[in-house]
Amino acid sequence: MPQNDTITDIGLDEYQYHFITEDEPVFRSGRGLNEKVVREISAQKDEPEWMLDFRLKALEIYNAKPMPTWGGDLSNLENVLDQIYFYVRPQEKMERSWDDVPPNIKETFERLGIPEAEQKVLAGVGAQYESEMVYHSLKKEWDDKGVIFDSIEDGLKNHPELFREHFGTVIPSADNKFSAMNSAVWSGGSFVYIPKGVELDTPLQAYFRVNQEQMGQFERTLIIADEGSKAHYIEGCTAPVYSTESFHSGVIEIVVKPGAHFRYTTIQNWSNNMYNLVTQRALVHENATMEWLDGNLGSKLTMKYPSCYLLGEGAHGSVLSIAYSGDGQHQDTGGKVIHAAPNTTSQIVSKSISKGTGRSTYRGLCQVHEGAFNAKSNVECDALLINDTSRTDTYPYIEIEEKRSNIGHEATVSKVGDEQLFYLMSRGMDEAEAMALIVRGFIEPIAKLLPLEYAVELNRLIELEMEGSVG
Amino acid sequence: MEGVTEHLNSDAVQALASGEPQWLQNRRMDAWASYERTPMPTTRLEEWRYTNLDRKLKLDTLEPLGWIERSFSKETAPDRLVAEMEADHESSGHLVELDGSVAHVDLDPALASKGVVFMSLRTAVTEHPELLEEYLATSALPAERGKFQALNAALWTDGILLYVPRGVQLEHPIRVSRWLSESGKALFSRTLIVAEEGSQVSYVDEILSDDLDVQSLVSSAVEVFAKDNAQVQYVSLQRMGRGPFHLSQQRTIAGKDSTLDTLNVNMGATTARLDLNAQLVGSGANSDMLGLCFGEGDQHFDHNTSQDHVAPHAYSDLLYKGALDGKARSVFRGIIKVHKGAQQTDAYQTNRNLLLSETARADSLPNLEIEADDVRCSHGATVGQLDQDHLFYLMSRGMSREVAERLVVIGFLGEVLSKLPLGGVVAKLSRAIEEKLHG
Repeated sequence: MPQNDTITDIGLDEYQYHFITEDEPVFRSGRGLNEKVVREISAQKDEPEWMLDFRLKALEIYNAKPMPTWGGDLSNLENVLDQIYFYVRPQEKMERSWDDVPPNIKETFERLGIPEAEQKVLAGVGAQYESEMVYHSLKKEWDDKGVIFDSIEDGLKNHPELFREHFGTVIPSADNKFSAMNSAVWSGGSFVYIPKGVELDTPLQAYFRVNQEQMGQFERTLIIADEGSKAHYIEGCTAPVYSTESFHSGVIEIVVKPGAHFRYTTIQNWSNNMYNLVTQRALVHENATMEWLDGNLGSKLTMKYPSCYLLGEGAHGSVLSIAYSGDGQHQDTGGKVIHAAPNTTSQIVSKSISKGTGRSTYRGLCQVHEGAFNAKSNVECDALLINDTSRTDTYPYIEIEEKRSNIGHEATVSKVGDEQLFYLMSRGMDEAEAMALIVRGFIEPIAKLLPLEYAVELNRLIELEMEGSVG
Repeated sequence: MEGVTEHLNSDAVQALASGEPQWLQNRRMDAWASYERTPMPTTRLEEWRYTNLDRKLKLDTLEPLGWIERSFSKETAPDRLVAEMEADHESSGHLVELDGSVAHVDLDPALASKGVVFMSLRTAVTEHPELLEEYLATSALPAERGKFQALNAALWTDGILLYVPRGVQLEHPIRVSRWLSESGKALFSRTLIVAEEGSQVSYVDEILSDDLDVQSLVSSAVEVFAKDNAQVQYVSLQRMGRGPFHLSQQRTIAGKDSTLDTLNVNMGATTARLDLNAQLVGSGANSDMLGLCFGEGDQHFDHNTSQDHVAPHAYSDLLYKGALDGKARSVFRGIIKVHKGAQQTDAYQTNRNLLLSETARADSLPNLEIEADDVRCSHGATVGQLDQDHLFYLMSRGMSREVAERLVVIGFLGEVLSKLPLGGVVAKLSRAIEEKLHG
């Protein structure tokens, strides 16, 4: 099929979040990661002694752990890490009103549509710029009900007991090399507590923006959904495009207490020079439900496998994942479900699209421990390949120790069929429109679970990415 | 130099090589050098993640079984071996290997006159050196493929050569019966099958043993070549007693428009590891890959398969099923790899496991790596217990739970057998499954 040059030429295929805000941070650490940087971060945040100890111990673990040899290509990562700034403080303190946020930063978020969305559809908003949360607010009605939605730093300051009870318990520093790194240099992220029985009818959102060149962002989020509560948390990420590489490594810990229902949605649209290595895990207790909705569209390399540890009887976990890999991108994503209690159920649905020289990898684990009887799990992976230079891989791990369980995995790989394209074009669509429609249909089962505004946004992004893709 | 022991060392290789033609001596010594260079696989390697050789294989005390002039007669042979041979249907030729030395070969004289070669590998060294030089441990299983491929290439004592000339078709299968009686030994045997253009052959290898008090290692290296338009069926039935560690390394190379099907059955041994790589190198090549295992007690089966689509327009379909009782454990790790340019590939992979006890365990890792876009690939894996609806139906017809369970297991495993209707194999295995179910 001919390349659709005209559409590529007019530039619709470009990354739309590329704009650089001119500003001067109030504090910036030196390049690279060392004990001095860790001590500086802790001092800047005026932390209690135990947290400094926690960070320093994590740094030791980080230094002792080898670089992973699986997953994506990390061969150049050590060079990148030597060059980046691990901590950049954009302003003196976090604000509760957009009016107080410095104008250039406020403008950045306005261009991203965040304040507008807050008014319309969100229960609360957090905005992180470089290493710190610059804005955090929660609607009064939820505040009155005891909901906590704060920066992670304020969580530590204002709720020390609740914080310390859970921090680092879901994802210990030693879990993997990058969780150790995050534990040493974490900065920014949210602290969320949903009290017993409280149900939020609109989502909370945190927005992450990296503006500086050669910057590392290490947000840390701790969420506790107390018994019988219900909430939805959304994170979005963007950055401008630089010729050098940047780094983002988050740790997201979630505790879903008995009977609670929590959904965590990520729309990751980092620029294509970003390494994005994230650890996300939820402990799911009796009759609780955890849902990960994971959309990965941006970054150079993403390695991210949201996990559900089903610890209580009747717990349910699901991971729904969409990955889009364009030229030079590698999305190494998937999910993990660990069935450690009886009558637990889980589902992983993964859809990936690889275009140009893009590579999408599904990597997942389904584990059923002995005694977790009547565990049921179903994993489905579908991969769509657009060009003959695209690549897709599927690496599921299924480890079953319990006879009374029912576990299935299925995957398919296909190409957009000539017949499908021909049919739509015979109805008057041009090739690009037809391609976009087919791809939208492919991701629809997941997109429909997003709040309307995000589903529209996701579809629009996919459509833009698909322009000029017919090859 | 991991894995070099009192008995497995370069002296042992030299002793085997002395008197052999120079090319073969060189090949053995090169393979040994490769063995010494290669570290012992550990569970840190993806392919060995679930089989810990440190615990499962006691290499240090094993003595290699040397070649001995042997003869075979039904009167002196072990009863079980004779019984299993008699259960076989018609054949085009037989070969019997006892403790690593070929003791008997016969071949339909009409086929011999058409140029079919079926003989012990040791005899072939002098009678068909040109075939061995070209194919033995070269393109299919060279020493460089891995630690144990190297060990076998250095230390093989005997084995089987089957050569089918262009256009020759064998009506009945070639049947090979292998028997192990010795404890504490290491047996290295090779099988080389070359089917020339347009030829057709099916081949059944059955390996049996008594229960052994002390672990023995049985290393089988199998190389199968199907040239353009050839049709080959290779069947391996591993039904040894308890005690042995069976290591089967197989590679099949399928040419243009050829069909190269395999069936691997693992029912015996304490630990059985299968490495099977199917290469689809000619366009239009077909490979059906079937596997079945049934474990109980502390049996451990590890299947490591790959479907390598190098050429376009090729087809491969894998179905591996396992039933596990007692504390048995099975591992399936399979990969479909579609190389760049292998357009119009159809590749499928299915792994299904049945857990029959509380303590059995199954791990399944069905992988895909796709680098071409115009392909149809899918895979599926399941692990579960006996279908309760099936049981209920059978019991409502008056069967006891025990009988109903047995029938459902037979039906489950029987699906694999029904795909390869080879004379005698299905009946023999159905009986073996039933015997195992009765305990």
